[in-house]
Amino acid sequence: MKTPSGRTGQSGQRGSNNLAGYLFIGPWLFGFIALTVIPIAASFIFSFTDYDILSPPRWVGVQNFKKMFFQDPRYWKSVKATVYYALTAVPLRLIVALAVAMLLNVKRRGVAFYRALFYAPSVVGDSIAVAVMWRQIFGGEGLVNAFLRLLGLPGKRLWLADPKFAIWTLIILAAWQFGSAMLIFLAGLKQIPYEFYESADMDGAGPVRKFFSITLPQLTPIILFNLVMQTINGLIVFTPALVITNGQPLDTTNFYALYLYRRGFENFQMGYASGMAWVLMLVTALLTLLIFKTSSRWVFYESEGK
Amino acid sequence: MKAQTSARKATRTLVFHLFASFLGIAMIYPILWLAASSFKGPSEIWRKIYSLIPENPTFINYVNGWKGFGGTSFAVYYRNSIVYTVLAVIFTIVSSALVGFGFARIRFRGKNFLFACMLVTMMIPPQIQIIPQYIVFSKIGWVNSYLPLVVPRLFGQAFFVFMFVQFLRGIPRELDEAAEIDGCGLGRIFVSVHLPLLKPVLFTASIFSFYWTWNDFFSPLIYLNDPKRYTLSVALRSFADPSGLTDWGAIFAMSFLSILPVIALFIAFQRFLVQGIATTGLKG
Amino acid sequence: MKRKLVALLCLALIAVAGVFAQNKKVELKIAWWGSQVRHEATIKVIEMYEKLNPNVHITYEFAGFDDFWTKMTTMAAGGQLPDIMQQDYARITEWQSRKLLEPLDSYVTSKVLDLSDVAKPIIESGSIDGKLYAVSLGSNSYSMVLDVDAFKKAGVPLPAQDWTWDDMEKIALQIHEKLGIYGIGGGFEVDELAWKSVYLSDGQYLYAPDGKSLAYKDDTLLVNNLKMLQRLIKAGAAPTYQEYMATFGGTVGNIQMDAIVTGKSAIEAVWSNQVVAVATAAGPGRNFAVVHLPRLKKGGQAGNFLKPSQFFSVTSQSKNKIEAAKFLSFFTNSIEANLILNAERGVPVAGKVRDALKATVSPVVKTVFEYLDRVAKDAAPTPPPEPARHAEIRANVYVPLIREQVFYGVLTAEEAAKQLRIQATEILKRK
Repeated sequence: MKTPSGRTGQSGQRGSNNLAGYLFIGPWLFGFIALTVIPIAASFIFSFTDYDILSPPRWVGVQNFKKMFFQDPRYWKSVKATVYYALTAVPLRLIVALAVAMLLNVKRRGVAFYRALFYAPSVVGDSIAVAVMWRQIFGGEGLVNAFLRLLGLPGKRLWLADPKFAIWTLIILAAWQFGSAMLIFLAGLKQIPYEFYESADMDGAGPVRKFFSITLPQLTPIILFNLVMQTINGLIVFTPALVITNGQPLDTTNFYALYLYRRGFENFQMGYASGMAWVLMLVTALLTLLIFKTSSRWVFYESEGK
Repeated sequence: MKAQTSARKATRTLVFHLFASFLGIAMIYPILWLAASSFKGPSEIWRKIYSLIPENPTFINYVNGWKGFGGTSFAVYYRNSIVYTVLAVIFTIVSSALVGFGFARIRFRGKNFLFACMLVTMMIPPQIQIIPQYIVFSKIGWVNSYLPLVVPRLFGQAFFVFMFVQFLRGIPRELDEAAEIDGCGLGRIFVSVHLPLLKPVLFTASIFSFYWTWNDFFSPLIYLNDPKRYTLSVALRSFADPSGLTDWGAIFAMSFLSILPVIALFIAFQRFLVQGIATTGLKG
Repeated sequence: MKRKLVALLCLALIAVAGVFAQNKKVELKIAWWGSQVRHEATIKVIEMYEKLNPNVHITYEFAGFDDFWTKMTTMAAGGQLPDIMQQDYARITEWQSRKLLEPLDSYVTSKVLDLSDVAKPIIESGSIDGKLYAVSLGSNSYSMVLDVDAFKKAGVPLPAQDWTWDDMEKIALQIHEKLGIYGIGGGFEVDELAWKSVYLSDGQYLYAPDGKSLAYKDDTLLVNNLKMLQRLIKAGAAPTYQEYMATFGGTVGNIQMDAIVTGKSAIEAVWSNQVVAVATAAGPGRNFAVVHLPRLKKGGQAGNFLKPSQFFSVTSQSKNKIEAAKFLSFFTNSIEANLILNAERGVPVAGKVRDALKATVSPVVKTVFEYLDRVAKDAAPTPPPEPARHAEIRANVYVPLIREQVFYGVLTAEEAAKQLRIQATEILKRK
């Protein structure tokens, strides 16, 4: 299999160009310092205070964290729910997204129409209309149960009120909205030079071989991106849990970000909520770091080395 | 031989369409339901809930919904959303692409640290940042305006920066080198070499930015006080009152109307999802 | 010559002063939550007020219930609260304890805010520690809505005003046997106010006056009530909690799906200002009656109390408190304004307004008015607004640990009541 001949030229080893670098990232850096650093630093400080938003914060040291880890049963329930969700929804979404992206990466007639069809669910976002729809579908007399009865199975379960299954209504929602991940994979697939496949054809490679030798390696930077982003988003999931199940039943869908928001805005415990946010941030950062560290083993960048 | 291959091709096409349509129906059903319900009158909506065909189709939900609140029709909210979203998308994509190029193609001191900082900003739930952010903006007098919503877009968004970085790293350096030899500076390389190859990415990023901004209600809710400035997303939520009688028909109708522009845009700009890199020029 | 110049100068100064005086408008900002109907009506009233008071310019904002509180809380943090905000019985103590609400007593005494036509208990319901912080916008009370036709079909006579929980249990079972539908809907299983009402009808409040402990000592009342509901559920005379949740969970509440609206139950517990919503959703041709909450024993104290449905408060951050108070006075006393508002926020609190509206409102709304008149006759005294910690107890203890766990069979009613006491006390005692 031939790839473009590698020239280990100077551009791969460009010397440090601080001025240009900072010029290009300047907009982000400015915004970061002016607009983002302050809220983030403030939230860090709040996590060590008793801050009820309506009056000035009061220093309490690590009390929030003590309460969080050792005295709040609902905290660990929310951790469990969020981890369960992330571990199921993220892989499900990614696999479906990649599969469908490959399916739609063809020059057939009507493919544009199908792409719009598959992308449409992501567009409806987290609106209340979706929430109502979703509750209808999983209701006692809902579509899902009707479908199950069609297949001869008992279709009576109240999915949204069942502690074992309520979270799955949200996981299925996440899978249903794979469109955005799919789109990113599609863009990634489009970036693979067609010549690679032509060369492989000339070498007599079959579709499976082509997938594993060309498609997958070339897609790895995009897979990394999607993996990291979906994981982060999976851990801070909020709106569907709010409007569709409201954290119920029995806290099985009381996701971390929802619980945090409730503590902050409804119970006026912004200090506690900030503490929760920082714990989440640290865990997510560690997880991401782990993913990046292993990435050097499986991610292949066309621009950086053969 | 020819007959066999064309028969095989036909079966493949049939299978493809069957499979894709089956999946497609599962995908689109909830949205069809939304559209159908929007044409059902108030007494019908909650009766035969699953029928996709209204018994007595009516436009009343659209009429009621469009009226909006207190003399401000939905046309105003639509306009607000369009102007805000288009501006926000342009700012976001341009700035994120530039920043992404900086991180992806230039070596400079502190790069990895700053990149990590950027990623971290995505990991903190927005619900936590809103209060300190609001206090900052109210101190500089920007509340009740679109400024806190639009100005931050000039500074790039981490998600898109990261996305551009990953895609840029997939572009062979040889292309850069070739352009360099022709005398192009960094900026020129970015504009003439990278951007054309990034068409699918630009399209994808723009669509994402568009619909996220279009659907975002949290920031507009907080920073826009005057109801005449509300975006669609906020106006839609003002219909729902859990303690009283919510006009679901109006919500469905207006929600459906608010989905249409995004889908229309997607269909219109799909032609940018084209094959990106051709490296024929590099061989040999 | 010089005199003419001076005269001209004086004229000019007066003209300028005149222009300034006219352009010096008072700016008021008002915020409320509600649905489209309420937004429209309130905006019309605001415009009416501006016409009557051309020196006042009012800007307003509104949102759905949850969004409203997110917004107000954020604005409070940034010092940007409006002059007048709608307030909630469950939250005024919270806001007042942080000094965000302005005491209104001086305006009442000076008649800027005229509450002379409002009954004392109603005024007191918006008072904390003897000071008035919120003006009630409408009275409300817990009510049991009865489907008259279902009762007729089952051959069960409509209950009297002073029926008891035992009566209710019997009736629910009877109706279920005769008609196969639920005797009673799931409203009680989820609402915390059953907790409060049960104790009120025994003459007890939930919280001690200092808000640092529970006021009632005996958990039996709560346990019995929970057990009764469990019995009804077991007999099929009330929907299971899961069923109720599958219909009503999430934050997209939906009266149209309520059991009594769809004919699946004969009785439902709702707030009196939701009765209109129920009747409207059920459509024409349905007949409903409204009765009190059941009591503990025949001839005993009612568990009903007059609850303010919403309030308007003047915020302490306001720069135009007098004008704000004037507006509240108008809102409370103007008959024209209330004709537009149409009792959507509850039965009007001013006597003359109530009388005027009775003649013009629709039959269903009239039923609600008449119901509240009956309730007012023997209502329990309105409890003081909940202490600041109540919101946390309700959200983090009462609903998830008690209500849910009892009805999912995870805890027994006795265990649950004990846990409630322990955890609520711990929260109340915290600094």
